[in-house]
Amino acid sequence: MTPTVSASGLSLRYGGTRALDGVSLRLTPGVTGLLGPNGAGKTTLLRVLATAVPADRGAFTALGHDPATAGGRQEVRRRLGYLPQAPGFHPDFTAFEFVDYVAILKELTDRAARHREVRRVLDEVDLAGVRGKRIKKLSGGMRQRVALAAALVGDPGFLVLDEPTVGLDPEQRMRFRELIAQAGEGRTVLLSTHQTEDVAMLCHRVLVMASGRIRFDGTPAELTAQAAGRVWSSAERDPGAKAGWRTGTGSFRNVGSPPDSADLLEPTLEDGYLLTLDDAGAEVAA
Amino acid sequence: MTWHVAEEDLRAYAQGELAPPLLWSADTHLVACAQCRAVLAGVGDPATLDAGWERLDAELDAPRPGRLESLLVRLGIADHTARLLTATPVLRRSWLAAVVFLLVTTVGAVYTAGSPTLFLALAPLLPLAGVALAYGPAMDPTYEMAVVAPLHGFRLLMIRTVAVLATGIGLNLLATLALPSYGLRALAWLLPALALTATGLALTPRLGPVLAPSLVGAAWVALLAAQAGGDRTPVPFTAAGQGASAVLAALAVGLLLLVRDRFDFFSGSAA
Repeated sequence: MTPTVSASGLSLRYGGTRALDGVSLRLTPGVTGLLGPNGAGKTTLLRVLATAVPADRGAFTALGHDPATAGGRQEVRRRLGYLPQAPGFHPDFTAFEFVDYVAILKELTDRAARHREVRRVLDEVDLAGVRGKRIKKLSGGMRQRVALAAALVGDPGFLVLDEPTVGLDPEQRMRFRELIAQAGEGRTVLLSTHQTEDVAMLCHRVLVMASGRIRFDGTPAELTAQAAGRVWSSAERDPGAKAGWRTGTGSFRNVGSPPDSADLLEPTLEDGYLLTLDDAGAEVAA
Repeated sequence: MTWHVAEEDLRAYAQGELAPPLLWSADTHLVACAQCRAVLAGVGDPATLDAGWERLDAELDAPRPGRLESLLVRLGIADHTARLLTATPVLRRSWLAAVVFLLVTTVGAVYTAGSPTLFLALAPLLPLAGVALAYGPAMDPTYEMAVVAPLHGFRLLMIRTVAVLATGIGLNLLATLALPSYGLRALAWLLPALALTATGLALTPRLGPVLAPSLVGAAWVALLAAQAGGDRTPVPFTAAGQGASAVLAALAVGLLLLVRDRFDFFSGSAA
């Protein structure tokens, strides 16, 4: 499939920290997950791809436009939906007013057309019933949906979502996953998350980042396969395991290099993720 | 009904050419007035009428603009620009009330001290602070979304700067009117205010939205403090100082235009 977003050698240094170190990637339509520990560079990568921050080195194109030029950047921004990690809201705005404000920032100046678009995106995220309610009175899950609605204004071809499910309860998270899946139909979506369940349920591809580099690029099944033969069960925590924890059955689940005659278990995406990080030399919190 | 929409306005409405606030007034009136709806049906073609009803439907759904937004539209500002201004943090009532309080207190202090220096020293700092807080990661909660929007960051900054400057300078002028005994001397804050504000903005891309105005403000305070206690008028309020302020303001505006593209990117912490 032809990539809609492709980057090569993106590097960015903040002070003494190398936030991005030669990141190359190719994104295609559908939802691509971006996993990585805190400080891996996920938010920085998303900001670069969203044209908020220019890279020191490297280049990328999105939907056929090069954001290195002012004109290209403008074209990318016209086709971009961005949900930042901690979306801020003007406290006195209603859901409608906030999305309307973002629509103005997206150059929708005709009032009637803009209001039609605001109603459309609020309907899309199931918030039609609360569009007149002040944002400060909405629940956390509803606020995230307002922010997603704002990102969807103008029907963007490229959607960048930075940890949108953080802080949501399981029911809200499930509802939000449905919306992301819906948004991913026909669009290129890059979803940064700490939740491997998000990736397992939503993504056709997954990237794993650590220390500013892409450490894995493949399908969720391929990431899971990284842990094939490297997950085993034991009565006590295996001291040779990279990570191990007691499960609900009382036995320990260990990941790493199993001893001979270990009782091997079916790996999960999380196992593959932990081992990928470990292989990359990143710190793994078990 | 004690009034009806003029037929001329109904024709414009049917053709989609009626502008706010008359448009909003007609929208609201048509919901309740069968007589005007009947006249409207006679003056428009069916397709245009359908579009009108669709617009009316949308209007009923949309929230009523707040007092500030309505006022701005009545003053002739486009409704989308009015919405951008409504979202400016320092145009909120609490900020304006704080500025008014500060100015009233300062004017009171001028009367007590018998010298306008305190007012002249403070007045340029208010527009500087207002503009610094009008756009950027520190005060605008939607800053990160605004930066990646197609509306150029510099344009949004300028829209808000003009509004905040007009408000700040307007309040300063009102305070100046309370000091009639000092004549034109009481206006000596104006050029330094423009110079400080423009310099703060011009330095923002290099020093950041907090450090740049803070340094400029600190330099102003240091300059005045160095001359405090003497009998002579502080240099910034002399003719030479006013000339220097004007030159500095012009240079800063030139520099600001040169670096305007730098406002197109996020200026905050890394990640």
